Amino acid sequence: MAMKYLDKYPKNLAKSLWVLKPCWAVMKLFAKTVTHRSMTILYPYEKEWIPDNYRGRPGLRFDKCVGCGMCVRMCPTACIKLIEVPDDEGKPVMRPQVNLGRCAMCGYCAEYCPLDAMTVTPDYELAEYTRYDLLYGPRRLNYEGTTPGMEVKLEVTLPSDIENGNPERRVSFFDLDRPELTDSKCIGCKKCAKVCPVNAIEMVEKGVNDKGKPILRPVIDNSKCICCSNCVLDCPKDALQIKEVL
Amino acid sequence: MMTDSIVPVKEMEDRMDTDKMWVIMGPQHPFSHGLWTLKVQLDGEIVTDAEPIVGYLHRGWEKETENRTYPKIIPMADRLCYAASMTYTHLYCMTVEKALGIDIPEKAKYIRIVADEVCRIQSHLMWLAAVGTDLGNLTVFLWCMREREFFLDLNVKLCGARMTTNYPRIGGVRNDTTELFDRDIIRAVDRFEKAMWDIIALIDDSSIFVSRMKDISFLTREQCANMGLTGPAMRGCGVDFDIRRDDPYDNYDQVDFEVPVLTKGDSYSRYMIRIEEMFQSCDIIRQAVKKIQALGKNAPYRIKTPSKVPAGTAFTRLEDPRGESLMYLVSDGTDKPYRLKVRSPIFTNVSTSKAMCLGCRIADVPAILAQIDMCLGETDR
Repeated sequence: MAMKYLDKYPKNLAKSLWVLKPCWAVMKLFAKTVTHRSMTILYPYEKEWIPDNYRGRPGLRFDKCVGCGMCVRMCPTACIKLIEVPDDEGKPVMRPQVNLGRCAMCGYCAEYCPLDAMTVTPDYELAEYTRYDLLYGPRRLNYEGTTPGMEVKLEVTLPSDIENGNPERRVSFFDLDRPELTDSKCIGCKKCAKVCPVNAIEMVEKGVNDKGKPILRPVIDNSKCICCSNCVLDCPKDALQIKEVL
Repeated sequence: MMTDSIVPVKEMEDRMDTDKMWVIMGPQHPFSHGLWTLKVQLDGEIVTDAEPIVGYLHRGWEKETENRTYPKIIPMADRLCYAASMTYTHLYCMTVEKALGIDIPEKAKYIRIVADEVCRIQSHLMWLAAVGTDLGNLTVFLWCMREREFFLDLNVKLCGARMTTNYPRIGGVRNDTTELFDRDIIRAVDRFEKAMWDIIALIDDSSIFVSRMKDISFLTREQCANMGLTGPAMRGCGVDFDIRRDDPYDNYDQVDFEVPVLTKGDSYSRYMIRIEEMFQSCDIIRQAVKKIQALGKNAPYRIKTPSKVPAGTAFTRLEDPRGESLMYLVSDGTDKPYRLKVRSPIFTNVSTSKAMCLGCRIADVPAILAQIDMCLGETDR
């Protein structure tokens, strides 16, 4: 390895053509710009090409979203809020609303969305006249022409897979994590079943207690669970904990 | 040549019985590149004392991190310095990985090297553009910004954002290199190396530039050590130290590169070190891209990490484009850090401004302090 620049410089300016060399560089550029396309673009009329994975404002695919609130929890600037909106059949459902006045365009909502309902979009012209207009509701977040390239996949390799000689297997970050019940702490309050966005938790009777009342325990359907950890956060007795598979 | 710019200050004082005057440059001054103030004491035109005042941009960054979970701090680390966002997120992720005691996949290490060097080149180009405007040559500014655009486009290609990249993750990187990224980066680097010689011709072959940088503002090795000067400015003063080579992190020991060192210690040598570093970064990128290609498409780039960091402390340092940046993490076993300390290279580098400016003329002060490559976001945090 050799130095590319320090081998040639510093030069003795008295000997070099110190006026002509910069002039020559500028003349070269002048000749280039006459024959070539210019470097600048006429912005509102011409736009720069941007790739699919460009991180503009977040977009939402309404029908894919289940309202788990993962984006709300992961947002570093707390610009996402769950609001109640009617779905296509008129039933009230919880869907994210994004305040773009606070959004940092980090792409975490799209990255951590368990169902890839949130995407990044190449939409970057977001100026509005009032701050209220910067609130993007669930329907307005929809981006026409969402392509699969706009989904941000949270694909990881498990450290155990690398140890077992299977480094090419990719899993989604939360695919294998599931909430685990500590039976002694549970009081059977059914909060977890109510809060689950995909109805993966079912309360099952497991015998009767001393007073003759049924003992209810949550049973988690692992195929339905998306590991949004809503049940963990809402549990009043910390009986549910996420068990991380590493 | 302005060899006479260092006038013996003591002699001047004895000869003339004039009052010294404090001139406050900044916080809104074209040379300051951000919000900071330089108080200079003048004896006629000669600077006899200088005092930097920083802190106008204090946002409570370190305290703010204590209320956030570990992944949420990565976008915040981007905002420490917009020109060196990649290195700061890299540093933060390395610190947490060290606290977790995990080793990340080879491919992630090389992708991080590529991303870091792209960041270094575009940060140095940003600095060169600032030097151009400080010394009154707008052509340099425009040309550097034009070249920088190609590297920002590479950032977009890699992770979808131009400057606040949010790319490294705890345990790897956000996504694999996108399709044709290897081709694009090699093209960009090849093109840059050719275009750089034109910019060099504008500066090095022009006596207007060189005479304002050469033979002023000398610093010695001892002064560097005493004041904590790091980075390209330190290597311009004859200290042969680069963390990438001497304390390698993330496979920097697997790539071959030279650390440019000049012994003269004036303002011009600090400039030359940075120019040479850009060429060396191009070499590192070429080698690292070859290593990524050799690892294959399906090699792992991110491993899963636990959300909670075990109690303990971790400490890493990294060669930022501006110097040596360092993070110190104290964890108490939860998913939020107990304390995260950042050492910003500029905060210590700017404290040398008195030693740099002493004995120079007031008109040279912008040219001298441009060599620090000021960035206030990381200085005040």
